[in-house]
Amino acid sequence: MKRTLSFVMTVALLLSTAALGFAAPSKVTVWCWDPNFNGASMKAAAAVYNKTHTDVTIEIVDIPQQIEAKIEAGLQAGGKGLPDIALFQDFIIEKFVQNYPKAFVDLKAAGIDYSQFAAYKVGPMTAGNSVYGVPFDTGSTGLWLRADYIKAAGLNPDSYMKSMKWSEVIKLGETVKAKTGKPLITYQSDNFDMLRILVQSTGGQFFKPDGSLNLRSDAFKKSLAAFKEMNDKGMLYLAEGWSNWIDSINNDQAAGFLNAIWMVGTIKSKPENKGKWMVVPTPLIDVAGAKAASNNGGSSWYVFNSAPNKAGAIDFLKSVWASKDPAALSFYNDILKGQGAMGTYMPSRAGSNYTVKDDFFYKNQAVFADFSKWMEQVPVLKYTPNYSAMRDAVANATLKYFQGKIASIDDAIAAAETEYKEVMGN
Amino acid sequence: MNRKGAFARYLNRSGWLFVTPALVLFGVFMLYPILSSLYLVTRKWRGMTDSFVGLGNFVRMAQDNQFWHALGNNFLLMILQVPLMVILALVLAVVLNQGIRRGRGLLRLMFFLPAVTSLVAYSILFRILLQTNGMLNNLMLSLGVIQQPIGWLNDPFWATITMVIALTWRWTGYNMIFFLVGLQNIDPEIYEAAEVDGASKITVFFKITLPLLVPVILFSAVTSTSGTLQLFDEPNILTNGGGPANATMTAALYIYRQAFVTNSDFGYATAMSYVIVLIAGILAIVQIRLLGDRK
Repeated sequence: MKRTLSFVMTVALLLSTAALGFAAPSKVTVWCWDPNFNGASMKAAAAVYNKTHTDVTIEIVDIPQQIEAKIEAGLQAGGKGLPDIALFQDFIIEKFVQNYPKAFVDLKAAGIDYSQFAAYKVGPMTAGNSVYGVPFDTGSTGLWLRADYIKAAGLNPDSYMKSMKWSEVIKLGETVKAKTGKPLITYQSDNFDMLRILVQSTGGQFFKPDGSLNLRSDAFKKSLAAFKEMNDKGMLYLAEGWSNWIDSINNDQAAGFLNAIWMVGTIKSKPENKGKWMVVPTPLIDVAGAKAASNNGGSSWYVFNSAPNKAGAIDFLKSVWASKDPAALSFYNDILKGQGAMGTYMPSRAGSNYTVKDDFFYKNQAVFADFSKWMEQVPVLKYTPNYSAMRDAVANATLKYFQGKIASIDDAIAAAETEYKEVMGN
Repeated sequence: MNRKGAFARYLNRSGWLFVTPALVLFGVFMLYPILSSLYLVTRKWRGMTDSFVGLGNFVRMAQDNQFWHALGNNFLLMILQVPLMVILALVLAVVLNQGIRRGRGLLRLMFFLPAVTSLVAYSILFRILLQTNGMLNNLMLSLGVIQQPIGWLNDPFWATITMVIALTWRWTGYNMIFFLVGLQNIDPEIYEAAEVDGASKITVFFKITLPLLVPVILFSAVTSTSGTLQLFDEPNILTNGGGPANATMTAALYIYRQAFVTNSDFGYATAMSYVIVLIAGILAIVQIRLLGDRK
């Protein structure tokens, strides 16, 4: 009798768990990783959507660490435990599309018009005739400088508010270091971002069209050489990891950094920064075809084929993130001001916040107008599914080169190529 | 009669009922994964795409210096850290057992507390303490011990030292408890006899305490060694993915990265896990041999 009872109870328990998983079809779950940035933007999007769709609940879940590993585990389990929508970094998505060919919904087939999005965002999410994501933000970059330290070094910040070559920036860095003791640029020692920005500004790619590694280019060598020169002249502050890097910016350890528009929120999070910062175009590497623009980061929204509420998720993304509806366009305008998130939906760029002067920056610089202008020049980037392995191999070789454990640029390239080959196993 | 009884033992229904939950759990969480790993290890498995490669994953492993480098790091940490920690734990145990009288309980607690700290929490804490502008560097700079901040996490040499320090902090108290138990199991009459014979404290330590503690020392050394072999949390968090430039990359972390970060290659990750299992197995046999002989 007791056994029968416990059996019945177990079955009931299992059924109710299963029911929980499939119940509430009017709920859309979203995974992303930064509650102040992409999470907040998604929340704003949800509010817009809920005005016309009052019955839909959009739940935004913050996955602060290793979201890709979590998604990977879910995909291995045939989609169990995954949300309806997830945010992916642009550089990582090709790996997922290749390794999990049926994991994502083809949103082009679902009716999204991709001609309205920035072309460089659509490239990585395209495979054959299918396009899988809804582009979110741009990673348009600039060189962020502390006007107050430039002044303290006896220089006029205004004369640096222009497009510069790296040689000019290095000269500036030497003066600032000599006069104020501050390195000009803080960067994450274990991170690839800075070299990535340099190389991409030349229009150079890390991969050849056939997908093989492309580190022996003039663009790569000159970028690494410029980076090394900054290192040797004491212009770089080496921060360990992300949070230490953020600290170094907001605790005045350096006079600037090279990164993307999405750092606006971090700078504004410290009121004392007001009036101190200015952003100038990404400096030029001395190579033919180089532009004063680059890209770092940027991510996009994807819908899983296994999603419990696939139709709801697609409708939500379509009607807020890819619509010329005035409410949707003003939403893009709002997240630019509120979160510093610059969308890549071209029609939204007519919004008022794209041109407004920002009194938080030095001399009320209209930073969003500048980043938006620079974004137009960002070339289409080739990431390939092997981007992570390349990134780590190059970052490791760069660090060893800086620390004198590798003697020359050619040796550094060879070391990166070897590590890449071994990690990839081919 | 007797034989029939012995056979009936295997058909005892309530006996089977009692072990069924354990068997089911074992089957689902141990047997099934082990059997499916036999399949997995012969595949090139990228996400949901896979193809048969036979022993290809092992051939690849033989050529993958990154893996052997990571495994080498495991052994380096073993050689540097395990003896240091065992000696330290032994000294602490002896001092806490006989050396001091006051505050013994409090000190024991203090030394043991790190062992109940979450691996993630202490890794993050050490990371904050040891960064270039972290507390330790700032303290040493202001005391004039060093002129330049030490790259605890940036420099390959210091990053290894950092790992040794962190692991020692986390695990010494844990091993100390084994030694304390071992010490309390030594018959006080032996010490009295030695005292009567006029043996000095040092002679007592080396001629009585140490030899009688050998089984505990062995146990502690072997478990620490196999623990170092499986090192994952510290390099993943404290040195942020085995940095700088793979200087603290361990085998377990490399396996995880192959599966979940770089390649989604679960077949290759399985093949490397086999090597770790093999080494751990050899260490276990050594442990049983060494400990068995003493009994």
